[in-house]
Amino acid sequence: MAESLEKLHNRILSDAKLKAADIIRDAEEKARQIGDESRVQAQKDADEILSNANLEAESIRRGILSSRIRTNRLRVLDEKNRIVQSILKSVEQRLSEIASTDQFQPALKRFVAEAIDAVGADDTVVRVGFQNAERKSLDSLGRTLPTGTRFVVEDKPIDDLGGVVAGDVGGKVIFNNSFRARIERLDNQLLTTISSTIFGE
Amino acid sequence: MEAVRKIVETEAQAKRIIEDAKSRAQEILESASAEAQRVRQTALSRAQQDKARILKEAREKAEADARSSDEETNVLLANYKNLFENRKEVAVKKAVELILGG
Repeated sequence: MAESLEKLHNRILSDAKLKAADIIRDAEEKARQIGDESRVQAQKDADEILSNANLEAESIRRGILSSRIRTNRLRVLDEKNRIVQSILKSVEQRLSEIASTDQFQPALKRFVAEAIDAVGADDTVVRVGFQNAERKSLDSLGRTLPTGTRFVVEDKPIDDLGGVVAGDVGGKVIFNNSFRARIERLDNQLLTTISSTIFGE
Repeated sequence: MEAVRKIVETEAQAKRIIEDAKSRAQEILESASAEAQRVRQTALSRAQQDKARILKEAREKAEADARSSDEETNVLLANYKNLFENRKEVAVKKAVELILGG
């Protein structure tokens, strides 16, 4: 009897210890899972933070750099434009003084011929006006023009810089061959010529 | 009677063993949760530090590149100034010839 009681006692304790061991083992397993899942999740969150940081860094880099590069491009364009405008100013100055050079007479003849040709009428009125041009030389040109052409010498330079304007008597057809009109017509070619000469482009 | 008393004592002892195990298991789980939280905080804190470093380096690198762009532009503008001085007369002459149409 005592022996079987002792066995029962041992059995109860043995079962309890086994169950306790199971409980501890389950807890340890669950603890391992918690640790593993936590590490994985933490790594995932950290990776996301770093990934966002890299995107933000690129955005910061672009923000700083693109605005500065844009500013510098504008500085370059402004300077090129300033240089071209300065050249054009000098060109205008040179043209306003053209009457005192030996380029004047051949150019004047071409301008007048082009204007008469452009109007294409028998009764063309040609007006010329240049700064510091000798009236005598202008009048002598007038005498060489086709019959029916009326030649008018203006006291002031046409369009400020000087030039030639031709039209029919009725004023229906007018061809402006002043320096300023020619500058406007040749705008693109002028910019290209100036740019290629100065900047080699 | 003695036998019943001993069995009751043994049952009580077994119950204590299991309760102790449950208590220990609870401690293990709490400790694991605390450790998991600590690991998470450490990882996030390190990531935040790395993020601050990445952003600082990106800003510094971009500023350095921007300064470099400024310097390149300054050199270019100085070069333009020289070109303008050296080639202005030729450019004016070509432009005047173009307008005169000779």
